[in-house]
Parts: sequence; structure tokens; C-alpha cells
Amino acid sequence: MSLNRRDALGLCAGMAAGCLLPRAARGAKPIIGGSVDLQDLPAREASWYKKLEHLKVECGLCPQECIVADAERGTCGVRENRGGTYYTLVHGLACSVHVDPVEKKPFFHVLPGEKALSYATAGCNVECKFCQNWEISQFRPEQVASWYLPPDALVRIARQQGATMTAATYSEPTVFWEYVRDAAVAARKVGLRPLVVSNGYIKPEPLREVLPLLEAYKVDLKAMTEDFYVKQIRGHLKPVLEGLEIIKKAGTWLEIVVLLIPGLNDSEAEAVRLARWVKGHLGPDVPVHFTRFHPTYLLKNLPPTPVATLERSWSAARAEGLNFVYLGNVPGHRGENTVCPGCDQVLIHRVGFSVLKNRLKGGACPNCGRKIPGVWS
Amino acid sequence: MTHRLTRRDLAALLGAGAVSRVLGASQARSGRGRVGTAEIPPHARPAAFSRAVGDAVRRSTGMDTAEAAFRGLFGRRDTVGIKVNCLGGPRMSPRPALVEALVEWVAGAGVERSRIIVFERSSRELETAGFTLRKKGGASLCYGIDNDYDRAPTVTGKVASCFARMVSTTCTALISVGVVKDHDFAGVSAGLKNWYGVIHNPNKYHDSNCDPYVADVVRHPWIGGKMRLTVLDGGRAQYQGGPAFANRGVFDLGMVAASHDPVAADAWAWRMVEEERARRALGTLEDEKRAPRFIQTASRYGLGVGDVKALKVVGA
Repeated sequence: MSLNRRDALGLCAGMAAGCLLPRAARGAKPIIGGSVDLQDLPAREASWYKKLEHLKVECGLCPQECIVADAERGTCGVRENRGGTYYTLVHGLACSVHVDPVEKKPFFHVLPGEKALSYATAGCNVECKFCQNWEISQFRPEQVASWYLPPDALVRIARQQGATMTAATYSEPTVFWEYVRDAAVAARKVGLRPLVVSNGYIKPEPLREVLPLLEAYKVDLKAMTEDFYVKQIRGHLKPVLEGLEIIKKAGTWLEIVVLLIPGLNDSEAEAVRLARWVKGHLGPDVPVHFTRFHPTYLLKNLPPTPVATLERSWSAARAEGLNFVYLGNVPGHRGENTVCPGCDQVLIHRVGFSVLKNRLKGGACPNCGRKIPGVWS
Repeated sequence: MTHRLTRRDLAALLGAGAVSRVLGASQARSGRGRVGTAEIPPHARPAAFSRAVGDAVRRSTGMDTAEAAFRGLFGRRDTVGIKVNCLGGPRMSPRPALVEALVEWVAGAGVERSRIIVFERSSRELETAGFTLRKKGGASLCYGIDNDYDRAPTVTGKVASCFARMVSTTCTALISVGVVKDHDFAGVSAGLKNWYGVIHNPNKYHDSNCDPYVADVVRHPWIGGKMRLTVLDGGRAQYQGGPAFANRGVFDLGMVAASHDPVAADAWAWRMVEEERARRALGTLEDEKRAPRFIQTASRYGLGVGDVKALKVVGA
């Protein structure tokens, strides 16, 4: 079956009607997990690969640098070698679409209180043992319910829902890089701000190419040790650190999230090391969010992160000179608030994903006048 | 190198032990490392498949007749899953006629046809390889796993996957039916790697020549504890360019092989691939840094005999 324009429009219309409802209540049936086989959908030739002899290809999108034989897929599970040509199977194939407050991403210095149409496809290029979205990130596109939602339709829905941003998130946007790029272009055309929420595990060239299209980039910095990256996520630390520097140098707004997992990456010494690296390489104004781990996926044996541990890392990072350190997954904690580094006044008062009060005036502290870095308008 | 026995190892070993128990005393007598072969031309007639499969299984077990061999492997209460590897499409997958012959032998051991299921990752792959889908009726069944996986992952060694309910829940006995072919990363894809098709995320486990991942999947009790037989369709085989079909790498091997030792079956396939490569003055898989080390790992786990020199190949 080939998907014609009418099919696509019908599916998109159904999607638009139902995207805010719980999935079970939506009128639109998924095309994957429904009646359509993934192999029947038009695949797009992937970017960032080179052809090798014997019909093999080498992917250059992420540091996994997969060499993929004919009829096989890369480690992400969403790029497939078909006769020596590499294809992305997920361009426009969204498995999760929701309108979220931007604080949920989390971005705390980007248009507080506004909404982002958040979308994802199946697949991920690493395998975090603590992944909260493993039911989409660790599956192949044919294994999860998905909707055909090309960039233009995605943007149309965002506007209908009152979102001012789009956010590639939930799984790993790197693996649907072409979709992210094209959705960002479509979003910019109508004045929406495109965001990316990523593990930062991407090669420099594709990262540099997409950054000018984006408003902000959030990176999950999983830990500050190579050992953690190898054992807990099957990746490496160095490319992530390099990526952070590239984002900062490009001028795209950057925020960092660190999930603190008891016994694995939650020592005070590691928080200090992280803070020093961020301050030294990215500057003191890059927001760092320490978030609370909850047992999931392959780490159900560990307890939730004690709040005291989060507070210890929070204090350590602030003591090292970072100006904007936050706590996440602890609703109501004062660590959710944005505080002026100049006069200690609370500027943005948050509880969970809600902004209760935003006192910023023209992106500055109304008390001392200090400019607060971020995307405020 | 030392290998500390973990709880997981112990479970896997117990699973492997279960295989031996099921096989019964006569099977145990034949010893591990035994591979039965029979000639089967690439373009054989249906009757020839039945004879070849029966002969190969009989020789692998050391029994006097094929009927007795199958009766020793399967019981009336079994639900038998036959996992075929159809990645190579119609030109490098187990031939449907061979699989049908196998089904008849299993049915002959007393297993109801409606409890014999030929399966692969997807129904589409089965159809592409020439199989006819059957999801109900009195005949044996044939359909894909499609999306029917367990909802929670289980960990086996370095593998964390959701297994197909076909192997975790539905079947009590399993047969791996593969081909004999080269694999660009694993080295060889025959009977053991075929089990990658029952986990939801095989794409995560192709580094390090798929070692130890293949062995880790196979030692899971849902596989290792249920696997009774491996059958390899070597009518045509592939010495280069796998896992997809590559015409330039195909040769006529003209054999079907069977073993209740899954590791020995793969070691035999490895030998076949290497011998053909040597005939064509190609380097060994080791030379190309893609020797199928998972075979040795599976052997170290106690799942069978991985030493090519230690195989006992019983042919015509």
C-alpha cells in the first residue's frame, strides 16, 4: 500500500482532532500497529551515511558509527540498509504527540508557561537502563503504534492547540534527525520555536547543521564518568561533552539535565566535577537541572533518589559558581524556582510544571536589573 | 579466563539440563557434539525433503529409525514452535517444503498438527520466503510474531529484551530451522543466531561480533530450556555477503544437517562456510575479524560443543 495525499490528510485530521485526548479515546487509528505494514510506507533515504563495499553502509549520524549490512538496521532500529542504500523509516512517523508545558521538557529559561507540541518516533541510539520511555525508545517503529504526521501537519496541529513551540523529545531526536530538521523548518515558517530534548549523543556535523534551525537544545548529561556511560547506557561520555560545547558555541540556548541515580552517579564529588566542567567549558549561566530518579525499566532494584541527595548536588553546583541550578521531579521544592544571581530574589516561582509567578521584566530582574539569560520573548 | 557462576548462569545451565532430561536416556547415550547430515539437492522434490530430514535427525540421535528419533524428542503434550530464519528472502531461507517435511515428522511423533507452529519475526517475512500463513484450522499453523512480545524485559547475561510470547508462553518445545550462511558481523548465521528473531531489539546486539549476545539469548530458559532440535537447510548456502542474500556468495552445499546440540549445529555450519571460503582462496572469518565467537561462548555456557574438531558428523 502506498500512502496517498488523501490518506495522509485523513490521518492527520484524525490526529488533530484527538491529540490532546488520552490515546485510547482518540478517533484516529494508528497506521503502524493498525492495518499498515511499516514496509509499505515510503521510506526516505537517510542523511549522514556513506556506502561501503559489499552493499554495506556506515552511518555517520551518531557516535555509534554503525556499519550496517544489507537488510539490517543500525543500533537505533529505525534506519535500515536496503540494497546498499540507507533509509530512515520514521520520517513523519510519530508514535507520541502531546502538548506539554515547556517546563516539562524541562526548559526553565525558554518562554516560561508556554506550550510545546511534543513529538517522538520510536527508537534510540543508546540503551539507558533507567529509561523512562523505554516502551518507545527501545522498540522498532513497526512495534509501536504510530501515526503518519509529516512536518506540515505537525506544525498545523501545534498552532491549532495554541503551542508556541515544537519539541522533539520523549525518545531520542538524533535517530529521527531528518524529521527534526524538516519539522524545524516548517515550524520556523509559521513563527513557532523548535526545541530538541536529547541525550546529546550525536556526531558534530549533523549537530552543527541542525542547530541554526533550533531555538533551544536540552541535553541529558547522564554522568561525568566514562564507566557510567559504558555500563549504564552503552555509549561514551566524550562525544556528549563535545556536543555540549558545539551547542554553546553555536549560540543555541542550552540547558542540561542530570538524573541522579542512587549509588551510580549521585556523589557530591561528581556534582562538583560536573559543575566545574560546565562553568569552565560552557559558562556559569547554563542552567543545570538535577532530577530525581524513579525506579523503572532495568533499574527497578534501586530506590528513588533521596531529596537530600538532590539538595546536596544542588548546593555543591551552586557553590562552584553555577548561577542557575534546579531540582526536578520534586514538586514544590524551592529548587524549582529561578532566583536572581545578583540579589537572590525569586524571579520565577514554579510548582511542578506550572509557573505560579513570573516577575521578569524584559528578561531582567525587576529588583536589581540584572539580565537573566534565556529566551523570554 | 575465569567465569564466575552467577545465579543467571545457574538458571541457564539448569535450562540446558532440562533439554537432556527431555531427550531421554537414548538421546543422552548419543552424546553431545553429534551432527547428522543427509544429502539434499538445491532443487529437490518433496519426497526427498522428508527422507533427508528424517535421515539427518536419525543420524544426529543415533536412533535406529527417524520415527523413534522424533518420538524421543517430542511428546504428545508438546506445543512445538519451529522458528525459521527468513531474513534472506525467498533465495536464502529454509525452504517451505523442507519445513513441511519437518512438521510431518513432528506430527508423526504424536504432536497434534494444531500444536505445531512455524513462525518468524513477521508474517510478512514468512510470506516473502514462500510460506503460506495459517492462523487456525486443523493443519499446522504458520504466522509471524509481529508485535506479540512480553510486556516487560528480562535480562539474560548482557541482553535485556522482551521475548516473543511464542517462546515465553505458547510453546513447550522449540526447533531452530536456519540456513548455512555467512554473516557480516556475527561471522555465521545458522541455528543459534536465528533466536535473535524472538527478541524485540536485536539491533542493539550486533557489536562485538554478536558475542556474547547470541549465546546469552540462547541460554535463557525460554530458549535453552525448550530447544530440542536444530535443523539447517544447506541445499544452497552462502560463504560471503550475508546475512542478506548475495548471489555472488552462494554455493550449492547440497546437505541438510540436524542436531539436538544447537552449538554443534552452528559449529558444523561454521566449518562448511570456512571450507567453501578456503576453496575459493578467501581468508578465514578470523582473518576478517568476524569469527563467530558466540559459538565458543555458548559452549562455555554449557549449551553444547563448539569445538569444530570435536564434532561427530554422521552422514550418508
